[in-house]
Amino acid sequence: MGSRRYPGQGRLNGRQITAVVGVAGALVLAGCGGSSGGSSAGGGGGGGGGATSSASGSATSGKIVWSASPIAGAGATDTRTVLINAFEKKYPNIHVTLTSAPTNTDTNRATLATEISGGSATPDVFMGDVIWPAQFAAHQLAVPLSDYLPQSYFANFAPGLVTGASYKGKVYGSPLFEDQGFMYYRKDLLSKAGLQPPTTWEQLESEAKTLVSKNLVKYGFVFQGASYEGLTCNFMEYLTSAGGTATNGDYTKATLDSPAAVKAATFMRSLISSGATPAAVSTFQEAQAMNIFGAGNAAFLRNWDYAYSNATSPATGKLTTSQVGVEPMPAFAGQPTPGYSNIGGWNMYINPHSKNINVDLTFIKWLASDEAQTILATKYSEIPTTNSVRNSPAVKNVNPVLAIISKTKLVPRPAGTPNYPALSTAIYTNVNAVLAGSQSPAAAMKSAQSQASTALSTSGGGL
Amino acid sequence: MTTTSSDTEQVPVAAPLVGRPDVNRKRMARLGWGFTTPSLIVIGLVTIFPIVYSVVLSFSAATVTGNGVALNGFTGSNYSLVLSSSKWHYALGFTIIYTLVTVLVELVFGTLIALVLERLTAGRGLMMALLLIPWSMITVINAELWGYIYQGTYGVADAILNAVGLGHPNILGQSTPAIIGLMIADIWKTTPFVAILVLAGLVMLPGDIYEAAEVDGSSGWSTFWRITVPLLRPTLALAVMFRVLQAFGLFDLPYVLTNGGPGTATTSLAILGYNVIFKNLSFGPGAAVATTSALLVLLGCLLSLRTFRVQVGKED
Repeated sequence: MGSRRYPGQGRLNGRQITAVVGVAGALVLAGCGGSSGGSSAGGGGGGGGGATSSASGSATSGKIVWSASPIAGAGATDTRTVLINAFEKKYPNIHVTLTSAPTNTDTNRATLATEISGGSATPDVFMGDVIWPAQFAAHQLAVPLSDYLPQSYFANFAPGLVTGASYKGKVYGSPLFEDQGFMYYRKDLLSKAGLQPPTTWEQLESEAKTLVSKNLVKYGFVFQGASYEGLTCNFMEYLTSAGGTATNGDYTKATLDSPAAVKAATFMRSLISSGATPAAVSTFQEAQAMNIFGAGNAAFLRNWDYAYSNATSPATGKLTTSQVGVEPMPAFAGQPTPGYSNIGGWNMYINPHSKNINVDLTFIKWLASDEAQTILATKYSEIPTTNSVRNSPAVKNVNPVLAIISKTKLVPRPAGTPNYPALSTAIYTNVNAVLAGSQSPAAAMKSAQSQASTALSTSGGGL
Repeated sequence: MTTTSSDTEQVPVAAPLVGRPDVNRKRMARLGWGFTTPSLIVIGLVTIFPIVYSVVLSFSAATVTGNGVALNGFTGSNYSLVLSSSKWHYALGFTIIYTLVTVLVELVFGTLIALVLERLTAGRGLMMALLLIPWSMITVINAELWGYIYQGTYGVADAILNAVGLGHPNILGQSTPAIIGLMIADIWKTTPFVAILVLAGLVMLPGDIYEAAEVDGSSGWSTFWRITVPLLRPTLALAVMFRVLQAFGLFDLPYVLTNGGPGTATTSLAILGYNVIFKNLSFGPGAAVATTSALLVLLGCLLSLRTFRVQVGKED
């Protein structure tokens, strides 16, 4: 019976590991709290801070472990490998080991939270979602970078990105690359049918139906509709365009029980019922939507920055640059165009238990350098986070995605609360139920509202 | 060494044999405890301690910090949160229904397969090997494969159902089909386990009762219901217990296939607990979900054990 699966025990094991690691971590820290615990919490001031205060990212040797989920490319062209190689070329005595993190952002967070709260000193640095700062800060799972790096460092980044990476006045993440939603479309199919790229959601829906009914393409419009975080990103775009919000400004009240929210959910469902979008979209994450578009089976795709190079590079997609166009997100008819693009992207964070904070900072600072940001922008069409590279004409010329950044309007997810995961779950499970056709938009938004209210009350605990 | 060898040599001798086994048994017992102590300590550390710790967590206002979990004193609020949560109510209902349906279907199919296997004279080994393939497959891989089958745009199941005129059913994207889809994947994988357990029980049944039944002119049908099933009861109860334990902890199939969706349709207790602990980092309420699930499944097992004992008593 040894080879049997025991799902129940699998779950117990998760807890067991957490508990054991947690206690072991506590014991270890009780023993050497003076050095490692103190350096992370103490930051700029305090006792044994001799080594700490000098940690400004000027190390020339050392070894660190970097946890990052796949960004783009594969094998020798894997973004992470390319970045590490360029860094090690500049710092020959620093060695960075890559730990490939899970592609699912929730699994990625669970892994990191378990490791770090358990007291693990690795990974030293990790690439984490832009929605994590509040939660990671509230649980002390990341080092406040503003304790180490000067204000002038953070001034290099595009406006808004550092605010998004801050919680209660301290900056926890150094923006690595930005993501936002874009509307990708098939230039060749639109011109065959004599259509213009859509600027409103209604136009997108009708053009998608037209292209499918003319048998020019198998599916019209694909996006991320599965029951997971990505659906919250998608929904925020429709919601904002319809004039709604998810919460009030200080995260004390949910505002999902609004006509705008019902309008957004109703429209998303109508994409499916009208045949513009395949019903299976309610099971699509990024990969499924990308694959369908990349294989030439969909006319429109809502996806992040990487989709352009993914669809047009022979290793991952079947399309050519003459076939793929990109525009800002549509708006609802009657609203000013363009619509809203949700902000995604990834920051660099430091594990509070890292023994090599100076090396960590060196690596993080290099990732924000023109060299690294240019690699990300030109080779992988990721949106750079620093002003200098964002505004460089050489970078803008490389890729149509980068050229339209100045036209897009951005909307963040309501991630300024440590309870964001439960808030987001309230949004995506109910919107997914609408897409699946198991709940009416009005009923779903009502239940999203009540679950989001529970989530925002600190005692909710995600239940 | 010499004592041992003389012991074995003395076995046929009558006189010392009376006292010896007792002494031996005690010595062997001591030796046995000595040998097993290290592993018992390890088991205690990795099993009993975490279980106790999670019960402690469930009664604490626990918060996750960078330096481990801070307990922050006793509270009963985790349990009142769990018991009043509509998400928990749904997950509990879903998990119970899922367990009942899959265990029942697996029991029926498993028993039928075992009956066929028992009659097979040639090729029984080959058939058993084939049966073991789904059972020996890692569940996550199994789930990924079913994910391809159920995929809404290029999946095999979608294509077949479309070919017979059922359209594109979007299996994992709708509540009821998704639940049924998960059940089918589970049944496909674990029916062989039940079949092999039942087969072991069947092989052990005494042949003379069947001969007597044949002599008395009992039909196959009544032989099955009046002899085979009652005699198999202990085996069936054991199979049910194992399966209930596993099915109640349903995690990997929905985790891979649906992430608890569509909506929250396939959110089992284990998925809910995982979300609460690892997404929201709410260790107190999460531990309360885990502890209540463990208590419920323990209750289920005690009940099935009790039924099992009562049945044996009746047979006697």
